[in-house]
Amino acid sequence: MLLRLSGSNKKFPPERKDAKKDKKSSSHQTFLRYWYQRLNKCQMIIEKDFFELTTEPIDVGEVARRFVPSDCGATVALDGYVRQFTKGSETLYLEYESYEPMALKEMEKLIAEAHKHFEISLVGIVHRLGRLEIGETSVVISVAAPHRRAAFEACEWLIKELKRTVPIWKKEIYAGGETWIEGENQTTLLNNS
Amino acid sequence: MFMKVRILFFGATAEATGERAIEFSLSENVNADEAFAAILKSFPGLQQNFTNSLLFAVNQEYSGGDKIIKNGDELAVFTAVSGG
Repeated sequence: MLLRLSGSNKKFPPERKDAKKDKKSSSHQTFLRYWYQRLNKCQMIIEKDFFELTTEPIDVGEVARRFVPSDCGATVALDGYVRQFTKGSETLYLEYESYEPMALKEMEKLIAEAHKHFEISLVGIVHRLGRLEIGETSVVISVAAPHRRAAFEACEWLIKELKRTVPIWKKEIYAGGETWIEGENQTTLLNNS
Repeated sequence: MFMKVRILFFGATAEATGERAIEFSLSENVNADEAFAAILKSFPGLQQNFTNSLLFAVNQEYSGGDKIIKNGDELAVFTAVSGG
């Protein structure tokens, strides 16, 4: 978890090179800085990992830019959305369902694991539930890191693990009927208890 | 002696059993494997449809083996997850 004072990386009021020479200006600046710092404290922003389930449309840009940590240089955001054609067969829409409290716990575990394996600063995961139309975003995984490579790698690892461990299911509705999609065999999960 | 647990079903297992959440009686001191075997026995639809890929959770953690089930525990039975 990172804690940042909003605007604390900016000098305000801007320091003047001749500030030391100008006593009147210096005391004025001290006065201003005192009040500006007080103001900053009121706007404290807590930058931290987040994981959410929602039935509302997901704004990918908002998730990716929700936090832009000051020690980071890149955010990789996966925008997973509903595919219309899978190997030639057409999907009309999807319905997602979740074991919500467990899904949130599993997402939290994944994020903790990702921090152990990759040099990253912040992860955000938002997964949508309910009915999703073609092209709508179902999941966003956003990873901010000092350098892009770790962010790409962590993002790939996170989506792979999310699809394996987080209790969310999708039902595919197509012209001829509907079917619950089953993930690949994940019985190894049961041995980890 | 018997104890009560709650069992949750999701997605395909909810459709197969026609239930989403039920109260279920188990003998005291059963472990997770025994509990889930008892559930499968009570819901033949589960065994027929998905014997190989069912996953189990106890109190919102993947579970199995000899973990002892307690009165009031929340159990869940579901198929391999397919989020993303």
